[in-house]
Amino acid sequence: MIVAENLVKEFRLAERKPGLAGSLATLFTREHRVVRAVDGVSFTIPAGSKTAYIGANGAGKSTTIKMLTGIMTPTSGRCLVRGIEPYRHRQANARGIGVVFGQRSQLWWDLSVPDSFRILRRVYDIPDPVYHRNLTLYRDLLDIDALGTTPVRQLSLGQRMRAEIAASLLHDPAVVFWDEPTIGLDMVLKDAVRQLVNRVHEELGTTVVLTSHDITDIAAICDSALVVDRGRVVHQGSIRDLLRTADRRSVVFDHRGGPAPESACAEIERGLPGVSASSAEDGRIRVDYPADRFTSRQVLGFLLERFDLADCYAPEPDLEDVLRRIYGGHREAAPAGVPGARREGAA
Amino acid sequence: MTAAVWRHVRLAFFLGGVGLHRLSMYRMDFALGAGAFLVRVGLQTAVVGLVFRQVPAVHGWTYHEVLFLLGFSLLPRGLDHLFTDQLWELGRKLVQRGEFYRYLVRPVSPLFSLLSERFFHPDGLGELAVGAALVGWSGNRLGLHLTVLQWLLAPLLVLCGALIHTSVKLLFASLSFWTVTSLPSMYAANQVSEFAAYPLDIYHPSLRAVLTWVLPFAFTSYVPCVYLLTGATGLVVWLPVVTAGALAVALTVWRRGVDAYEMTGS
Amino acid sequence: MTRSPRRERDTPAPPLSLSGRARHYLPFATGGLQSLLQYRSTFVTTGITAAAGAAITVFLWRAVYAGAPPGGGPGGFTSESITTYLLVAQVLQILHANRVDDEVAADVYRGDVAVMLVRPVSYPVMRFFACLPVVAANAVLVGVPVLVLFALIVPLSTPRPLDVLLFAVSTALSVLLAFLVNLLTGMTGFVTTNTWGVRMVKQSVVAFFAGQLVPLALMPGPLAALASALPFRGMVDGPLTLLLGRYDGVAGAAGVLAPQIGWAAGLTLLGGALWRASLSRLEVLGG
Repeated sequence: MIVAENLVKEFRLAERKPGLAGSLATLFTREHRVVRAVDGVSFTIPAGSKTAYIGANGAGKSTTIKMLTGIMTPTSGRCLVRGIEPYRHRQANARGIGVVFGQRSQLWWDLSVPDSFRILRRVYDIPDPVYHRNLTLYRDLLDIDALGTTPVRQLSLGQRMRAEIAASLLHDPAVVFWDEPTIGLDMVLKDAVRQLVNRVHEELGTTVVLTSHDITDIAAICDSALVVDRGRVVHQGSIRDLLRTADRRSVVFDHRGGPAPESACAEIERGLPGVSASSAEDGRIRVDYPADRFTSRQVLGFLLERFDLADCYAPEPDLEDVLRRIYGGHREAAPAGVPGARREGAA
Repeated sequence: MTAAVWRHVRLAFFLGGVGLHRLSMYRMDFALGAGAFLVRVGLQTAVVGLVFRQVPAVHGWTYHEVLFLLGFSLLPRGLDHLFTDQLWELGRKLVQRGEFYRYLVRPVSPLFSLLSERFFHPDGLGELAVGAALVGWSGNRLGLHLTVLQWLLAPLLVLCGALIHTSVKLLFASLSFWTVTSLPSMYAANQVSEFAAYPLDIYHPSLRAVLTWVLPFAFTSYVPCVYLLTGATGLVVWLPVVTAGALAVALTVWRRGVDAYEMTGS
Repeated sequence: MTRSPRRERDTPAPPLSLSGRARHYLPFATGGLQSLLQYRSTFVTTGITAAAGAAITVFLWRAVYAGAPPGGGPGGFTSESITTYLLVAQVLQILHANRVDDEVAADVYRGDVAVMLVRPVSYPVMRFFACLPVVAANAVLVGVPVLVLFALIVPLSTPRPLDVLLFAVSTALSVLLAFLVNLLTGMTGFVTTNTWGVRMVKQSVVAFFAGQLVPLALMPGPLAALASALPFRGMVDGPLTLLLGRYDGVAGAAGVLAPQIGWAAGLTLLGGALWRASLSRLEVLGG
């Protein structure tokens, strides 16, 4: 369905020097450096999957999405969407895909949402039954009628994102690329968007490629994950598999009697070397242990032996945590000064 | 191929309708724009009037002939404004703010997609109306009688002139693919096009050459007006060639610009 | 533009209060220049625009004065002096192209004005300082080259040193007038979204009534009287009257400078009042 083969994208960036003197210097000279945003990425996204394309800022995911949508031509390598190289046959590709790019609008700025839809209907040659079916769907799920005849530029971010998402699905595309689609949506609407995508996916088998910083979005919409760091795929598989790669597990428990929380923590750390224990304000104790050194049985056995457990549970590894660890490991491995090593907060 | 062309033509009509609809929604903006335009042309006419208070003719051009030229220059310009003003947005911000992508993810030609966002720009209507009025009035005062051939050719002269305006605008707007914003150079080219509103004979020969063969604004009004006023063919036979050449150059630069945009995508 | 008492407390009273206050605004000045310099092509294209504008008027009027007697044609101009007039008029126009109208209108449209209010500086004064380097850069990088270019092509008249001095003073006032006019133009953004149309009207009206396209001396009586009564005269025709020595002694020079000063003061008061009114409206409407 979607194939990337050894995809590489390099940019030439002009060096700008800071300050007034720097600006003056830039008037006369301009230095460039080459930044490799996507570094030989290969992957296959099967038709009908709902894949989260995950990466830290500057990890090349936007660039990859731009190549998959035909906005950008790769420096080398190639990608195929439904058997088409998007940047070579842009119009043919455009018929079969739907796109939302986070903050950037593709609606008609000074027209109302219904007017924009009417234009899209003509531009994409959408058959009447499809058009009306989809409008009904958006009316039910996204409350699109509430946007009325207000020009798009006067809509709030949340209202606009609703319209953008609807617009990207209006022509029943085989693939949708959503880059940060739920920015500005409140919880209720986020939920509606999830319902919408799941329904479209069920009925039409639409392939969904999503990038998001919102872990809950990813978890709710997607069934598989493609993790990219510094242009390289570091994980591809189901979200469950991804969680399993977490190298630390946790147990949280509450106990009756026995030592005070502080001394209990100290006792655990003494008894199980490499484990960290911390106490929360409500008296519970959280134990984090490396998965490669202890089994759950060992840890639980130790706890059962020492404490009178009143309550105990093992939280699922946090996706955010897992990602942070993946990026973190790479950051330490990356030599200093490599472009793209700069991060603005993982995931 | 022809099917694709017809599709675009049908879309163009539909989007033209949307443009007219938009006009009715932004009546106040329309009125302000048209009013501003009237003030501008009014003062321009006043300047010509003040010039001719001093002398009866400038380089053989009389007051009414200059007004005819001034009015005629508005016709191709207005026709061009009507359809291609979205190019200003390209030069101003579409590349800079990364918004150009939206024309690449639609199943129509990117240029068509860009232009169609603002069909029927109101200022164009104002220009056409004022230009037609000036041409009519000064032609009447001059006692101008056109031959049948001139009547037939006149709309084509306006159309070719409009295409030349469009080509220059497209060329400079496309520079933004490399320079991120090309608004200043678009302004400069637009300012140079103002030369076309006056007789070429008054300018320095080097400037005349530039206006004829480099930025061929002479062909948008001076050359056609000489033909319509005197019947002398002169340069007007070159008009189709110049129009085709200008369009070819502009479209080439546009295509290469879109390619370059794909390379950087920023 | 009264001094805010709070700022006096904030800053240790400097010996010269003016320099102390200017220090607050200096970052805006360098910032304005910095953002301008990022687009070096801007200067080239502004130059082309200006040269093209000058060429139209210069060649048009030179054609009129081609057969004028050496003692002076209409309005007492010679071919050289009318050329000088129109050319320097264009250079003055470059100095007046401070982009304040665009930027104020954009700030109002985007609602950024509200953000500016949070800063402990006056927005109009900040705009003034931010435009000064733009004016200076335009003068040096655009004005001088355009002047030199035309000096090579067409003969110009040489002014007297005293007239140049008076012209310099008058030009400084014209820059202030241009700022105020553009500030007021930009502030129309509070009442209309189509500031583009307003700006176009302003541009046409200013160019005409400032005498940039036609010297006031060549306008018919009533029109000239109207133009003299408007503030725009001090932007082009005023300074050029001094530069070309077209005045009568001290009284004549004062007759040019006094209205400029008067209008600068008047427009400052008007701008300040309208600004405060707009802000209180903004507060009522909640931006």
